[in-house]
Amino acid sequence: MTFNPLEQRGIPLDRQLRNWRELDVEPLDPDHCDPYTRCRVITMNGIEVEAILFSHQLARHTLDSDIKRQLARTRYIEAQQQKVVNWLLPGTSSVLETTIAYEQVAVDLTAWVARMEPDPYLKQAYQFGVLEDFDHLYRYANLYEMIEHRKAEAIVDNLTEVMPGRPTKFHHRNPVDNVRDPYDRTRVDPLSKLHALTIMSSEQQTMNFYMNVGPTYMEPIARQLYQEIGLVEEEHVTHYESLVDQGESWWEQLVNHEYNECYLYHSFMEQESDPKVKAVWELHLNMELEHLHIACDLMRTLEGREPEEILAPQLPNVLTFEPNKAYLRELLDTQIDITTLGAGYVREAHERFEQMQAGIHGGEEPPSERVMAQHDEMFGREYRLQTEGEHPDPAQRES
Amino acid sequence: MSESGIRTPQAGEDRTPDDDVVDLLMRQHGDIRNLFDEVERSTGDARKEAFHRLVRLLAVHETAEEEVVHPVARRAFPGGEGIVEDRLAEERAAKETLSALDGMDTDDPRFLPQLLALRMDVQQHARAEERYEFTHLRRNADPGRLAAMAKGVKAAEAMAPTRPHPGVESGAANVALGPVAALVDRTKDAVRRAMEG
Repeated sequence: MTFNPLEQRGIPLDRQLRNWRELDVEPLDPDHCDPYTRCRVITMNGIEVEAILFSHQLARHTLDSDIKRQLARTRYIEAQQQKVVNWLLPGTSSVLETTIAYEQVAVDLTAWVARMEPDPYLKQAYQFGVLEDFDHLYRYANLYEMIEHRKAEAIVDNLTEVMPGRPTKFHHRNPVDNVRDPYDRTRVDPLSKLHALTIMSSEQQTMNFYMNVGPTYMEPIARQLYQEIGLVEEEHVTHYESLVDQGESWWEQLVNHEYNECYLYHSFMEQESDPKVKAVWELHLNMELEHLHIACDLMRTLEGREPEEILAPQLPNVLTFEPNKAYLRELLDTQIDITTLGAGYVREAHERFEQMQAGIHGGEEPPSERVMAQHDEMFGREYRLQTEGEHPDPAQRES
Repeated sequence: MSESGIRTPQAGEDRTPDDDVVDLLMRQHGDIRNLFDEVERSTGDARKEAFHRLVRLLAVHETAEEEVVHPVARRAFPGGEGIVEDRLAEERAAKETLSALDGMDTDDPRFLPQLLALRMDVQQHARAEERYEFTHLRRNADPGRLAAMAKGVKAAEAMAPTRPHPGVESGAANVALGPVAALVDRTKDAVRRAMEG
């Protein structure tokens, strides 16, 4: 890999504005697109949403109006990028179909990052989280068959298996147990910074999506399930954002954001199967290179620091969407029954966990269990997609 | 064939009480998509047979909506008239593509591209119904009315063959059902009987 974003120049910022015709992209075909193309779209939307929200927060902490204007110029282009990327999703998809695609992203993106993460503590955080996304996929898949008589395999194809993960009812932990220890920005592998930012942004977008679309459902069980899993997404954002070293300055964070956008657009351009979507990734990469230079200049001017001090000497190996079935099965076999205690992980259901469980469940089965009962009432079975044999955990096999 | 090996039953065959016409029709929209998948993935006689089932399910489904749902939607809420007119225009366009396809050999190289175009039209129509018509219907019709309408739609469904019968020559079964126009007439009669009863 020889691509170094710091040495490349992109499209000048004043030539990045697109008109309505250019913004009006043709959406994916929901029934025939490559599932991983849709995953890349959903991922990049989450990344652009984070770019916009981060820049707004930064502007609200900036006194100098000239700098605020500079941030506004880049941010407007990022808002256009978000519109192009997210508008690749088709209007003919239902909210639930998009939700299942979001969970496929969460599973295969987090699993890949866990596999590649060099730091053992960070790796554990991704391994822990992915088994929960995996279970969400299974619950939503069962809801989908109830409401739309469609199987989740029509969306995920056979790239991602659908079966129980760590049961969703056990995801509800005392909030203090969701805060992890941060990496040390001076010693961590630069790749780890990109991983943490990517997964945090992706989970944040999932949280935002569920908190907004959940109430658009009329079916009581659908409304309730979105509420329950939406609350777990709040836990996941807490979990992943706490991994990032909060000692990074605002400008250092800005450079990391822009660098990560270059890394991801470059990665997705390399592997994209849909030529129209590939053209979007390529164009956006060329825009991001310029955003990165602007961010680096701001850090140089305001802090007197060089980007080389915080960034990798060259772009890491491309981030890839690919099946992670064997890896997930290994985690299901070994980590399904763990929870968190403080900033670490334990096997036993400790007192604080039990108190939270009692408080939130109120002596009743949560929506994630009731959806399975209602599905069983309707079909006399559950929905699973097990392409590699029975569930690795005997307790989770179908009776 | 599906990877999971699971077959989702068609609306009416699962164990729900089917006492809400909107739930029922939304599941039927999924059944139609499942049949499109089946036609696309099969070849030869299997494709021919699956396509015949698709044509019949579409005919029965649209007839039931025209007989049961649209008349109520026209009157149930302000602007209902216009929304139903838009849906009927979509249905007419889909019917034209469908009749062109119905006379074509399913092995004809032009078949699949036309089928995909039809699929897109049908899916857009279905989502438009769900968002602009059904939402208002559920808000403005009382549960008793929604249940009565569900009864009418179920009577229509009974007219469509839901799956190939093992051991029965599919061609013969379809001949026995007759042409689509006759099926539509029989469906209308069945719906009217159910709604009056």
